[in-house]
This record gives sequence, structure tokens and C-alpha cells, in this order.
Amino acid sequence: MGYINTIIILGGINIIAALGVAILTGYTGLFTIGHAGFMALGGYMSAIFVKEFGVPFPIGILLGGTFAGLCSFIIGYPAFRSQLRGDYFAVATLGFSEATRLLLNNTRSMGESINAAESGIGMVFKPIGPLLVKLGGVFGYMSLPSPTNVFVVVVAVILALFFAHMFVTSQYGKNCIAISQDEVAAQMMGVNLLKTKMIALFVSAFYAGVAGGLMAFYFAYLTPSFFTITKSSDLLAAVVFGGIQSLIGPVITGFILVVFPELLRTFAEWRLIIYGFLFVIVMIFRPQGLLGYVEMNFEFARAWWNKIFRRKQNSQEG
Amino acid sequence: MSEEILNIKNLTVDFGGVRAVNNVSITLEPGEFVGLIGPNGAGKTTIFNLITNAIRPTAGEISFKGKNILGKSPDRICQLGISRTFQNIRLFPQMTAYENVELGFHSEPHYSLAEAFVRTPRARRIEIDTRKKAMELLEIVNLKEHSHARASSLPYGLQRRLEMARAMATNPELLLLDEPAAGMNDDECNDLIKLIREIHTTMKYTMIIIEHHMNVVMDLCRDSRIYVLNLGSLLAMGTPTEIQSNPDVIRAYLGETKND
Repeated sequence: MGYINTIIILGGINIIAALGVAILTGYTGLFTIGHAGFMALGGYMSAIFVKEFGVPFPIGILLGGTFAGLCSFIIGYPAFRSQLRGDYFAVATLGFSEATRLLLNNTRSMGESINAAESGIGMVFKPIGPLLVKLGGVFGYMSLPSPTNVFVVVVAVILALFFAHMFVTSQYGKNCIAISQDEVAAQMMGVNLLKTKMIALFVSAFYAGVAGGLMAFYFAYLTPSFFTITKSSDLLAAVVFGGIQSLIGPVITGFILVVFPELLRTFAEWRLIIYGFLFVIVMIFRPQGLLGYVEMNFEFARAWWNKIFRRKQNSQEG
Repeated sequence: MSEEILNIKNLTVDFGGVRAVNNVSITLEPGEFVGLIGPNGAGKTTIFNLITNAIRPTAGEISFKGKNILGKSPDRICQLGISRTFQNIRLFPQMTAYENVELGFHSEPHYSLAEAFVRTPRARRIEIDTRKKAMELLEIVNLKEHSHARASSLPYGLQRRLEMARAMATNPELLLLDEPAAGMNDDECNDLIKLIREIHTTMKYTMIIIEHHMNVVMDLCRDSRIYVLNLGSLLAMGTPTEIQSNPDVIRAYLGETKND
């Protein structure tokens, strides 16, 4: 039971992060290989809020997500201002995420040197010195509370899916889709590129941040090595496999990409080779992804409902 | 004299060493329907690109409703009331016809981001309202039965019309049509003339049309003016009959006649 729980929890967390990437890559057409960075920022921030300031766990997670979203502007604003697109934007996100990870790697030594500082710039940061030491650098941020369980994750996934659906079907989401299909035409029709992309990036980073928070409170500790480029590329793989302009696709693949390596533990080293191979196959035969352009909808449920309901009506009439 | 809606003054643009548009001045009064013709490479589309700021001019002024729009971003210019179609169709290929038109209405969203996530009754009302308006526009261009077809799956002629509907959805005052009749046969051209004329009279847009089909331009601009461009410079301006008998224009289109 514990093993299945673990898979569901890790799969659910991956789904939430993959939904974030789906909004940015699948719907807005901006490739990102840096979402592990936003997960790290969200995870550490929510851990700090909950552990150091005693904020309740759900609020801590939301604050962590918001913090990750706000941090996304640091990379988003200059990148979108200078109209970075495609690979260039992907590289920028990669740089951001690696920089974040390396900063976190060094929090302990930074904190120690701030604590030891007698004068100069160190004094300015004096209040956060002890906190930085606690973050622990490469050794990790230890003994966090661990309220994340299957119930929490399932609820979070359902909420995340619901709000993602709301976003992509809203006027904001449709503007994002327009940008992904023809940026020039979208701008000529009045879509503010900078604003729309920043909103997509904010929402996307928020999702990653929330996933990071849930992860922190599941493992009960955080280390920067959780958030390497492998994590980012896993998320991108989930979206590319799952399908662009689809939510349900990345949800399914986001889960599978966690379950598969678990089931095939013995092939762990082969995983990346198999990924690469699958990537090529998918790109050749189905460039839009397995469920590309398949919108998640509940039409089937509605049709089913109508069928029952109508039959009732008919029998009342008859 | 009514105040002009668009005023282009001494517009010049260089691409590298090539002067694509040279010292062009055009003025439009509200509600006018003006044609813009010229041989290939005369700089017609470049002028549209300059008006919508897809390209920055080297020199000159453009003002819209008395306000300078030079250097404003394309989306801002669109919000101010200038909309266009493209010479090589630029629809959103994977969106349905209806979604394409709808985008024109909500490119500046009408509710806040928070409302988008929870979809308040107000946001839903706005969406229903937008849907109704988009359907009305599709009806005007006779695309209602194709509203749920993917834009890329529509035949060429219908894509042109859809692009016009999308441009109209941004609620423009000035509509720029770039070769709406390109690649159409005579019957389709006649339908298009009827449609464009209907749009012009009912919507009260000011319009500029670039077109290579002479009968289309001459017919549409019969009560109005035509500007002729050649090699980036204005060659002539006048009513269709004046243009047709202008020796410079004939020379530009047919080449010099040698008199031995």
C-alpha cells in the first residue's frame, strides 16, 4: 500500500508541474527547460513559510507558488521584451533554473559568511543569515513537516486540472493559443504579446511552485539536487509526449513518466536512452504529441447525462 | 471639410540600400473607400506594414484621428482602431472559424485574470455576448455554417472572408484589405465586391484596399479615389476614370512604348 501511495503522490506532483508546463509550452508555444527552477523556488519558499513562520500548510503552498510566479518575471520580462522565442527562450529558462539551483547549493556558506560579517554589504543581509544557514546548501533543508498524503495530492490535482481548464478556455487562454499559432497575426489583431506571455509564464511558474511545495512536504526535506535539468526535461517530455494544446495528454503522460521508471527500476540507467528514442519516434509520427489538440472536455458526460435526462422528459411527455 | 482620419506625410522607408517607399503622402477622410494599386514591388503592402507598425519607417509621419501613431506597438494600434488582413493569409490554423473571429473581440480581455479562473457570472455573460457578436460577423461574411470548421481546412476563398471577419471583430474604424481578391475567378470576385461594398455601407468603416484585379478596384472605388504607386513613389491619384486614362500609369503597368 505504501508503495502505491508513493507512486500516486509523486505522480500527482508531477502532473501538477506538467500542467504548468502544458500552459506555457502546450498552449502558448514557449518551450521551457527550466521549470525545475520554479519548483525549487516554490518548494523552498513554502517550506520557509510553514516551518519558520508557522503559516498553515495549504496557505504556505499557495504562497510558495505565488513566489515562484513572481520570480518568473525576473526571466520573463527581459526575455519577452527582447522577443526571445523558441530555443532561445528555452535556453534562457534553463539558465535561470540552473542559476537558482546553484544559488541554493551555496546557501549555507553564504549564510555563514553573512553571520561572520562585521561590516560592509554582509551587514545589510544580516537578518537572513541564520535562515540561509538553515536552508543547508547541498546538505538540504531538513526536518520539514510532512502533511502531504494521497488525499492532499488528489485534491490538489483535481483543483489544478479544474483551474487549468478554466484558464485555457478563458479569453486569456485563447489569446495564448493565438500567440502559439501565429504571433504576428495575434499582435496585429490586438493581443499584447508581452502581457499575455507574462501571464502564461506566471500561471505556469505558479503551478510548478505548488508542485515543489507539495514535494517538500512529502519528502520532509529539500535539496537542490531534486531540481536538476533532468526534472525540467521530464516535464517538457510529458507535455511533448502528451500533446500540445491538450491538458489531459500531459496529465496522463506526466503520471506515466513517473510510474514507468518505478516499474522498470532495473532499467533506470536506460531511461534517458529510451526517452530519447521515444522522443524521436513521436516527433516523426505524431509531431503534435499523442493527444495533441485533443481538448479535455466533458462532452461525453454531458451527452450521457442528456440521454438519461431526455429519456425521463420523454417519458413524462408520453 | 471634415477632419481626416488617416494622415500619412512624407513616409519613407529603406531596406538596406533599397528605398521601398519614397516620400509618400496619403490622406483619408472618415468613411472613404480608397484603392491602392501598383505593379509588383511598388511598396503597397509595405505601406500597410508601416501603418500597423510591423515595419518602422526611416522618415515621415503617420497620424490616426489626429494622434501620432508612429512607434506605437502593433497591438496598441489595433486597439486604437486600425485593423488589417494579410496578403498571404494569416489565420490561426488550428482554431475554428468561430474562434478566429472571437479572438478579434477579446484580444484585450474583458474580465480580470481572477475572474478567468473562477468564471464569475459576469465573465460568463461577457463570453456569451462575445459569442453572439462573433456569430453575427460570421453571418455577414456567409460563414455561419462553417463556424466549427478548422480555419486551415476551409477553402481558400472562405479563408479570405474569415480573415476579413476577424479583422472586423477588432471593431476598427480603419480597415486595410490586402489583396482580398487574389487568386479568385470572376464570379468569386463579383461576390466579393458585393460583400465588401455591403460591409463598407453598413459598418461605416474607412477602408483602403490593395488589389491587382483592376475590375475589382475600379468597381469598388467608382465614387472614390485610387492611389497608384510605382517603385515606392506615388505616381498618380484620382478617380478610376482619371487613372485609367493617365499616361504615367499606363506606362508603369505596360512599359514604355518606343516611337521610332
